[in-house]
Amino acid sequence: MLGNAFISIDPKTKNLIRVTSVWHIVLAAVALILGIATAAGSVLLELRGVLRIVLIVICIFTAAASGWAVYELWGFRRRGRTISLVVNYLGFILFFVLSLHFLQVFIDIDKLGETFGRGLIALVGVVIGYLISAFGDRFEGKPELSQQYSKVGKWVALISFFVFLLLVGIIPAIATLISRMANPFIFSLVLMTAVFGFFIWTIWREPSAAALKANNAHKEALDGFLFLSPNLLGFLLFFAGPLLFSLYVSFTDWDAFGNKNWVGLQNYAKIFNLNVQPMDSPDMVVTEVLDTTVYDELTRVKLLGKNFMIGAQDKLFWISLRNTLLFGLLAVPLSVIPALLLSNVLNSKIPGMKFFRAVYFLPSIAATVGVSLIWQWLYNAAVGNINYFITVAVNFFNSTFGLALVDPQIRWLSDTKTALIAIVIMAAWQTMGYNTVLFLAGLQNIPKELYEAAVVDGAGTFRKFWNITVPLLAPTTFFVITTSIIQALQMFEQVFVMTNPPGGPNNSTLTVVLYLYQNGFQRFKQGYASATAWVLFLVIFGVTLFQFQRQRNSEAYDI
Amino acid sequence: MNRKLFASLIVLLVTLSMVLTACQPAAPETPAEQPAAEQPAAEEPASTDEVTLRWRTRPDNQAEIDVYSAISEELDAEMDGVSLVYEPGGSESSSYQDVLKTEIGAGTAPDVFWIPGTDVADFATRGLIMELSDVAGDFDTTAFYAGPMFHLTYNPETGANDALWGLPRDVSTFALYLNMDLINEAGAADPRELAKNGEWTWEAFLDVAQKVRALGSDIYGYGANAWWGPYATWLNAAGGGFFTPDRDACALDTEESIAGLDFERSLYVDYDVAVPYGEDSEPPFLAGKVAMFQNGRWATPGVRANADFAWDVVGLPEGPNGPGNWLFWGAYVVNANTEHPEEAWALAQKLTEASTQAKISALGTNIPSRVSQEALDAFLTFTPPDNNQAFLDGIAAESNPTAEGPLWVGNWPEFDAIMGAKVNAVMTGELSVDEFKATICSEANKVFQQ
Amino acid sequence: MVKSYKLSQILSNLLAYIVLTLFAAVMLFPFLFMLFTSFKVPKDTFNYPPRLLPYEAQVIEVEGFEEPLPAYAVEVNGKMEEYVLVEKNIKAGVFADPGDLDNSYTLPLTDATPVLENGEPVMVTVDGEAYPMFDVMVGDETKQLVQTGATSLGAFANPDNLSQVVYQNVRLSTPVESVKFHPENYVDVLELQNMGRALTNTTLITLLVVLGQLVTSVVGGYAFARLRFPGRDSLFVFYLGTIMIPFVVLVIPLYQLMVMVGWVDRLAALIIPWVFTAYGTFLMRQFFVTVPRDIEEAALIDGASRFQILRKIFLPAAAPAIATLATFTFLYAWNSFFWPLVVINTGSSQNHVLTLALNILRGRAADAPNLVLAGAAISIIPPMLLFILGQRFFIESAMSSGVKG
Repeated sequence: MLGNAFISIDPKTKNLIRVTSVWHIVLAAVALILGIATAAGSVLLELRGVLRIVLIVICIFTAAASGWAVYELWGFRRRGRTISLVVNYLGFILFFVLSLHFLQVFIDIDKLGETFGRGLIALVGVVIGYLISAFGDRFEGKPELSQQYSKVGKWVALISFFVFLLLVGIIPAIATLISRMANPFIFSLVLMTAVFGFFIWTIWREPSAAALKANNAHKEALDGFLFLSPNLLGFLLFFAGPLLFSLYVSFTDWDAFGNKNWVGLQNYAKIFNLNVQPMDSPDMVVTEVLDTTVYDELTRVKLLGKNFMIGAQDKLFWISLRNTLLFGLLAVPLSVIPALLLSNVLNSKIPGMKFFRAVYFLPSIAATVGVSLIWQWLYNAAVGNINYFITVAVNFFNSTFGLALVDPQIRWLSDTKTALIAIVIMAAWQTMGYNTVLFLAGLQNIPKELYEAAVVDGAGTFRKFWNITVPLLAPTTFFVITTSIIQALQMFEQVFVMTNPPGGPNNSTLTVVLYLYQNGFQRFKQGYASATAWVLFLVIFGVTLFQFQRQRNSEAYDI
Repeated sequence: MNRKLFASLIVLLVTLSMVLTACQPAAPETPAEQPAAEQPAAEEPASTDEVTLRWRTRPDNQAEIDVYSAISEELDAEMDGVSLVYEPGGSESSSYQDVLKTEIGAGTAPDVFWIPGTDVADFATRGLIMELSDVAGDFDTTAFYAGPMFHLTYNPETGANDALWGLPRDVSTFALYLNMDLINEAGAADPRELAKNGEWTWEAFLDVAQKVRALGSDIYGYGANAWWGPYATWLNAAGGGFFTPDRDACALDTEESIAGLDFERSLYVDYDVAVPYGEDSEPPFLAGKVAMFQNGRWATPGVRANADFAWDVVGLPEGPNGPGNWLFWGAYVVNANTEHPEEAWALAQKLTEASTQAKISALGTNIPSRVSQEALDAFLTFTPPDNNQAFLDGIAAESNPTAEGPLWVGNWPEFDAIMGAKVNAVMTGELSVDEFKATICSEANKVFQQ
Repeated sequence: MVKSYKLSQILSNLLAYIVLTLFAAVMLFPFLFMLFTSFKVPKDTFNYPPRLLPYEAQVIEVEGFEEPLPAYAVEVNGKMEEYVLVEKNIKAGVFADPGDLDNSYTLPLTDATPVLENGEPVMVTVDGEAYPMFDVMVGDETKQLVQTGATSLGAFANPDNLSQVVYQNVRLSTPVESVKFHPENYVDVLELQNMGRALTNTTLITLLVVLGQLVTSVVGGYAFARLRFPGRDSLFVFYLGTIMIPFVVLVIPLYQLMVMVGWVDRLAALIIPWVFTAYGTFLMRQFFVTVPRDIEEAALIDGASRFQILRKIFLPAAAPAIATLATFTFLYAWNSFFWPLVVINTGSSQNHVLTLALNILRGRAADAPNLVLAGAAISIIPPMLLFILGQRFFIESAMSSGVKG
């Protein structure tokens, strides 16, 4: 049996596989030497702490995987193909990305930004081309005409794209790229990319696959890895890796300039360091109650007839947490309940609903920064429209009904009592339309028969709403509330733009994310800021879990 | 077996992804050395042996940006072998200094930049700016006002004044920008006349403010923005201040400081003559709704461009301890990682030269930081405002201005944050002055313990 | 019976329309405010009471004056006339009848001469307060009045006949204004404040992020949905778990990563990390799972490669899901602020995106809300135009996100 298998392999394939094995031996040897050299600290590259360790680890794994690949390939086993392909593919990607990096392709996206404006007109041509070809689809009865259209469209799009490339400056770009490749270091990187590419080919080709006894499941798995790889690699590099790193940073006192010490749980300890002390009278001064070299007064509570003062080492974190939760607590119902009602009105089949639906949706597509600037002026205490409307309304009521209402003259954003509320109102305004549309989608999934049956039973509008709509809309409501809460707990932009100083007045709008930003990027306590981020994550996680639990329970009752 | 393979694959992926981060060690290349890729237009800047220096200063409005761009072009032509790139940087509200720090950390900061005086210590102790005394050699520091230079030459290790961190770009004091239309309409006394006669006191000030405020619900007597500068001057005029003389402990709870704070509080809470604390006062002032707007020289270009009422400036009113003022300054400092320290130092000198300062003063932005009669005389001729002398009086010894200074012990931004929040509560009437007095220093002194 | 049913129907519809219109007004008003304010002159933005439309004070060229003079509507002999303001800050006094202080005239001091007695001004005491006595010209007659206050007046003259002068308070006078739009605000913002470059940068970034994310998500989603490979399911669960992790947890390490790679202040930092997302992959996978298997299997038997199957069968079928993902990604990329704020610095303005440019604009042009709001309009209007063109896509995307989630 075994002999037969060997006979069926043509010599070229056999040689290619042998060459690949030799390549893996070389690769393993080089990786091993490099790894040992790096560990011994005698590498030319001046690498700093973490990077050095990373390089050593990579070398060891490359060496091990390559060695394994040699062993498996020598026996013409399937697994050899998998390992070899994975090693070479990763090597290929690594050197490809390194080549791009040193060719400064990533950095030169900036230059594209400079010339991109010129090419925009041509891009419009691409869109027109697409529209022409899409227009052809209307002539379903006449396939010829439709084909004609799509052909013309394709050409228009292609030519426009070519013009776009020219306008953006593809020719000088290629010229510089080639001139940069003359650099021996960069050239060797590109060469290595090609070498890895070549060895992918030697193993990937169909005869090699057959020689290595590849079956369908094996091929499918390789396809799976291949298809997922761009996403997975990027995801690991830009998401999972930083996530782990963030956890590590939260145990250090990292600043933004590369100085760091391992401090263990100290960051977390500072966040959670609270102190509750009883007070003899409710109006004692903080210095008499707490050790003010460590704690600041957070709040006073009265419990079982006794007064307590709560102090915190990091007062601002707790204030920001309180503001954030308060914001969520106010903003979520304010954006969900009107949305629920509006969606019910919109769901009735009277004309013009699509128009209203579109209007309500508008605020949610606008940039929060822009929207915040608009509202900042609406909220202006002296000349803002909101206060003006209130004044007009007060005057109207006073003159028509002879009341003596006092114009409140609210200083929306500069008063500690109203600043957070002002932001809540704006946030609710911005998200309400989106929620309305979500509810509308949920409503359209409710079978009409249920309502008809209810009408037969003599149920009024309110009972229909309460007994049918609300329970059947529960999944949508759950989704809306959960996403709204998650969003609310991460509030940052509105406060950053609208309040002065951000988080003011008197920290009344300081949110956790803003506090994190201030710590991480203004006071450069990135370790501490990371710890704050993880605490916030736990809060969000907890709230969501709680929601899930409730959702599960309520479902059990409703169905 | 498959699972094992998968595990090793994941580990490999993780490690490989980590190495990607390694491709760029330590120092990224400076833009000057990068050949222009994907840049079709052949716009090679000058000859290659020119050193490119980037410099930055914080502008508050477009008028200032134009001034500095013009200066940059002029100096570029003057300096041989150096080509200058001016970048405006963020404005006050977009955290200019913090962004600068991250840029230094990331290696993308300009060679020479301006920072406010309060931040010099933070930048210096973090090792972000260059100590220049070696490059500078025998440099005559007495050409500048002593207040700023004291802080700029302070050596935190020895406590002596033998270091050099930079040169002051400008100085400024506070003055009150007056809307004479409103003051005349209210029939109030002309503050400039009162000042001339030595009658410009807190009481006189309050009288003017109250008369103007009576004109209408949207007309205010006084306006100032909600940051430490304005309340610092009231504290100062009452003989108080933020810190003890050694600048290593909080002094906000002294009788004098409290007196100054209480008077300012009364403007907001008791007499209700001021633009509500926390609301930006500049727009209503420019719209002609505020009679007396407290701000520094830096506000002049904006007022020149936008005000269509009769305006002028007057010095701050006298409190129990005289007029009181604050000497604001910021300095040009040199990036610790610059590749051209010599040229950067030369640029810093050029930027603070008397002739450069005269040009900047001409455009109204600031007051020369040099103690030279020539420069000051020139400054006085740049009108409006007619009463430029008010700014200079603020610097004069009689007003005993406090020179804005960095905290070498303790952390200024945190001190500012704690103080700002509490003062805000006082100005809006949420916190009584007594409570402020009892609690402020126990909280604020924590920043000196670190 | 039928009739009354109809009546109640009409009434409830009417009610529905009223409620809907009210909410629509609330939703639209801020945008209208933005749009109209962006066409104003700075002074007009501070006008009280606030007006929606941009107004500008009219000026009239008058001989003898270098600058054109502002026009005001002034009441002359009971008729409103268009006069020009020739002089401001004319010192004036409030003169009142000593017998009735409420009966007062506000006139320039030049129209009054103090009544002297032995060289000393005569004082009259009314209600315990002493006031100086003046001879005041009121109209054509001279009255003896006391001065109770001081103020200033403006001199308004007939532009055709400058000798016809009326004195009155300037601030409370009604300027002659006309609606005038100032579209040059947009030119200002685009050129001076660098919004033009920010606009192209944002377009470029959005385009690349949307395209990149679509590619990686479609390919990855397909692998998760249809290809069996070891560890697929646990990997998918891992992906799912990360969707909930807030971005703030990643800001600091990602920033440090960007510092290491040298991408701080580079557009690459705004594009490349955003090309790979768990959410997009999840969305596409959920859709691909619902595509029937038989077509795919038939194609496989015909010898089609996986890539061909993806392109020919799955991609066309997934148009709605792709539209959804593209919509979300577009909005996210266009509107994102926190990450650009962290990673793109304020110094070199050529790499700014719109939100960032807007943040700087609000500081620089704090005294010109018209410019700030023109900037806001520039960032808000493009997605809005797209929304109007492809309204169905946006709303259906939103709807499907709710049902699926």
